[in-house]
Amino acid sequence: MKHSKMQLSAETMNLGFVKKVEALSGSSVRRCFQCGKCSAGCPMRSFMEHPPNRIVRLLQLGQYERVLAGRSIWYCASCETCSTRCPNKVDLAAIMDALRKCSWDAQGPSKESYVQLANRVFMDNIRTYGRQYEMRLAAVFNMKSGQFLKDLMLGPKLITKGKLKMFHAKNKNIAEIEKIFSRIEEMRKQGEAQ
Amino acid sequence: MTPTKNLLSYSYYPGCSLHASAQEYEVSTRGLFRALRIGLQEVPDWLCCGATPAHNVDELLSLSLCAKNFSLASQVEGDLAVACAACFSRLKTTQHKLSGNDVKRKQVEKAIDGPVTLEKPVKHLLEILAKDYGLERLGEHVTKPLSGLKVACYYGCLLTRPPEVPELDDCESPTIMERVIHAAGAETVAWSHRMECCGANFTLSRPGVVLKLSNDILSSARDAGADCVMVACPLCHGNLDIRQKEIEEANGTRYNMPVFYMTQLLALACGVQTSRLGLESNIVSPMGLLKEKQLL
Repeated sequence: MKHSKMQLSAETMNLGFVKKVEALSGSSVRRCFQCGKCSAGCPMRSFMEHPPNRIVRLLQLGQYERVLAGRSIWYCASCETCSTRCPNKVDLAAIMDALRKCSWDAQGPSKESYVQLANRVFMDNIRTYGRQYEMRLAAVFNMKSGQFLKDLMLGPKLITKGKLKMFHAKNKNIAEIEKIFSRIEEMRKQGEAQ
Repeated sequence: MTPTKNLLSYSYYPGCSLHASAQEYEVSTRGLFRALRIGLQEVPDWLCCGATPAHNVDELLSLSLCAKNFSLASQVEGDLAVACAACFSRLKTTQHKLSGNDVKRKQVEKAIDGPVTLEKPVKHLLEILAKDYGLERLGEHVTKPLSGLKVACYYGCLLTRPPEVPELDDCESPTIMERVIHAAGAETVAWSHRMECCGANFTLSRPGVVLKLSNDILSSARDAGADCVMVACPLCHGNLDIRQKEIEEANGTRYNMPVFYMTQLLALACGVQTSRLGLESNIVSPMGLLKEKQLL
């Protein structure tokens, strides 16, 4: 996909997608004039196949499949450097959130599964317990990603330092928290929220 | 002991990390604030703010979790004191996004089945110390100045960015951490990576990212001649301290660079007893350094 030739025509450009991303992010995509300041300051650019300014350019050209199929959007750290420095007030960090939501909702193809898995486990933790319990977070992530030995050496050290709690209770208001999740699901089903 | 009246009082949102991996931040915050007579009353049944994973894929959920926390916080008097930079950023972002957007606000009200209350000011602990309490008054409590200790103040991302959200300090060249630690008598170093990202929550999913980015930060602090790094965020601390040994191995170098929470150093300077500084929880032991500087 990365190196395949890009042919631009009314058929190959999905400009409706730009409007969707603009609506979700509350930021203009079209205002970008490719100065590259976002990519110059991006701490994650060396991990991305498309640096941030190119993501915006691909969107402008209606090439959203290339963006969603790659791993770049999942390698954004949400550090907000790009949004802080953009001379045209393009909120790239918000655009990245919108793109991840599109990819996440569509359960579309992405080369980056670990970050998505970590997000999923993190949110399941909130729904089940109300708060994060790092021990559980790491254990479930390692199990589900098949990396049973990851950070094995850190565990005992963190426990002796009092940094990992072996036991934890659910929030007293966990039923109310569950309702927040289920109400949002219901609102989406009814088309009342994106 | 006769109870003394607090000079300032806040409602307090510690955040998940302060009850686990960042317990030394919690312990030293309590110790310091007690010494300064600043009251902190924890918000009952607070829940996770959703941090980065929630806003990454589900803005409505992220805003709703924070709005629920605001509603819980309204039961407690006082502005909302927040210790974690990520929680601080999410709570402030929620205020920012919902105060100007009726559509989102109505969706969130439906999700939490109640009114959205955003009036309570959200303040990071740094802000409380530097602005509300004041550096002069803080300086008056310093009984053990941190003389000769060279500190690299590390801001990371979310204390200052994006500038319209945290409103804590300048987004490219902040000084609030330096000002606070100067009040405790320490020296600070000028260095290049004070606002670069540490790799954040990639520590779980892609630790290789942290091994590179946090290595750049530690190496910059060392090159600037720092004895230690000071942070105000549990995730930054986890990456720079807990993963430091791994970073050293991956990059074939040795830092042995203690990473303190700002409250640990301030509490030490204000004469809080050593057992309430949480120093034994730091993975890179700071004991050698503090003894060498005759601070322990």
